[in-house]
Amino acid sequence: MKDGKIDEVLDKAAWTPHHVEPGLLKRVAASIGSSMQPVRPLPPTWVLACGLVLICATVALAGAARAGFYGFEKMGLLERALIFSTVGILTWVAATEFVHEMIPGSRRWMSAGTLLGMVSALLVCVFALMFHDYHTDHFVSVGLVCLVTGVLHAVPAALLSWFLLRRGFAVNSVSAGLMAGTLAGLAGVGLLELHCPNFQATHILVWHTMVVPVSGALGGLVGLAQRFRGRV
Amino acid sequence: MVGNGLQGHASTDINFAKPIHFMHPDSNLEMLMARYQEGDFAAATALIDRISPQLHRFFVAQFASRVDADDLLQETWLRIHKVRHTYRPGEPVLPWFYAIARHVRVDHFRKSIRTAARERRLEDLSKLPVTVPDETGRADELEALLAPLSESQRELIEMLKVSGMSLEEVARATSSSVGSVKQKVHRAYKKLRETMSVMGLRKGQDGGLQ
Repeated sequence: MKDGKIDEVLDKAAWTPHHVEPGLLKRVAASIGSSMQPVRPLPPTWVLACGLVLICATVALAGAARAGFYGFEKMGLLERALIFSTVGILTWVAATEFVHEMIPGSRRWMSAGTLLGMVSALLVCVFALMFHDYHTDHFVSVGLVCLVTGVLHAVPAALLSWFLLRRGFAVNSVSAGLMAGTLAGLAGVGLLELHCPNFQATHILVWHTMVVPVSGALGGLVGLAQRFRGRV
Repeated sequence: MVGNGLQGHASTDINFAKPIHFMHPDSNLEMLMARYQEGDFAAATALIDRISPQLHRFFVAQFASRVDADDLLQETWLRIHKVRHTYRPGEPVLPWFYAIARHVRVDHFRKSIRTAARERRLEDLSKLPVTVPDETGRADELEALLAPLSESQRELIEMLKVSGMSLEEVARATSSSVGSVKQKVHRAYKKLRETMSVMGLRKGQDGGLQ
């Protein structure tokens, strides 16, 4: 059996007209007709993505302004340039994908899982390249403080992001939650890089990077809860 | 073989081009959608008349009964109406419709699993016959043809070959990449080839006996 033959059969089957009961179409028209009014389409992707990046930057800067820019002051020029440009680019990519996730039928470059994996992997690479102090003083106790601080700052970033995209429609709430969490996690990482003066490689590689998957997982769980509650 | 610039698999000769007889003047649909967003009821009615048979067929190809498909169609239009502001003029309109229709279908599927058949596993559901005889006792030919395919394969073939969407549009509607769609279509065609070969063999054997 050739594929061309299957095409022929499918085409033939597709030719058969599919009728829908006219009464059903009238009922559908009547049901939407009662609330027919003009609506304003969503702004372009780049506008919404800019808004999301702005939210993340604001949350990170506000958090660092409150806690101190110790990490930023301790960094050299190359570290500053590489780390913040990487975080900035990743935030832009995550913001764009999140916007696409909230608009049905948008072109998708990567899945939520791929985005989370890519962001985490790239952060690990950049941190591994920049930090070479392999001491592990107070690894867990200090690390947990950074993780909690990062995740706590990711929460307002995520809430503000949802608020900005509240007119969107997530066809997959888990995926949307995962993306929102990843994006918000980047705000948390941004804050930690500005604030945390602990430059031990393992501390940054493990605890700073972990903010992204933890935040992403929390976002995914919120999305899952929304799905079960049938609100999204 | 006609191509649309997206044919990349050298191993098979699947035709990814839109079926000409079902090709939509998409720009016309986009224009209607834009007018619908402006509050034009006539445009909304025209869209309902144009898109509903496609969406209904999409649901029938996935579900056991036309009653379910009727309910889903109504639910889809209510959802479309509620989120019509998320369509952005200039973007392809069919993927937007189908993305929402898929969401409604999946939502309905999950609810029905939770409420009606808790003990029944999802895999078992996908193995159930998807076609039922219509009023005249004859199952729809397309549904019968797609019956051996999995749910995701059926929806792809339906969108690509029956609704006349391009690979890019199908990828948008299913939130996946063009490569992933191609791969799934190839698997679906493999299954269809096997099924149709078996059917052809049986027919031949039956003919031989007579």
